[in-house]
Amino acid sequence: MDITIEFTPDPIVMPPAHLPSREIGAALEFHGIVRELENGSALAGLHYEAHEKMARRRLEQHLAELATLYPCVAIHCIHRLGWVPVGEASLYIRILSAHRGEGIALLAATIDRLKQDVPIWKMTQPSPPAP
Amino acid sequence: MTLTILAFAQARDTFGFAERVVACAAEDTPRIVLQRVAPGVSLEHLRVALDCEYVTWDTPIGAAAELAIIPPVSGG
Repeated sequence: MDITIEFTPDPIVMPPAHLPSREIGAALEFHGIVRELENGSALAGLHYEAHEKMARRRLEQHLAELATLYPCVAIHCIHRLGWVPVGEASLYIRILSAHRGEGIALLAATIDRLKQDVPIWKMTQPSPPAP
Repeated sequence: MTLTILAFAQARDTFGFAERVVACAAEDTPRIVLQRVAPGVSLEHLRVALDCEYVTWDTPIGAAAELAIIPPVSGG
């Protein structure tokens, strides 16, 4: 499985659509978007921080393991770091697979592993950081 | 040998620093090193990594150059 992992301080730009094989039958895209309400409080956004080197390595390890369970053609993960305003994406995942089943399963498992084990943190902030 | 300690997110507030370089021995463990740096600070709910790999608090530092204190993660 082709694995691409990116971290960016900038708004996430979806990578261009590209099908590397004529055997791809499913293309899934997930956008994790910052919501206004967090535990009942209205926010302007969230601040994301990561141990980037370890986060990349940990996510690569998880994806290599998940690829044996849910064989797909490719996965592209982009996680935004720093300040992310409400309504913008903090996470983007695109998965290409032959059939929808393994793609959907890989997407769910990837997000679960990311939230449980990959050293990335979000911190609530009531207002944007000063410029 | 020297070891760079990194503290992230809530751990940065708990320990009072983001990064600190300390002297240690290969047989020291993360628990021993952090008790020396911040006596009395609870390690409960924290994980630890040596050179970007999770380990237990009682794993010898060995030849690692970096110790990361990892509070509960919340990415995504």
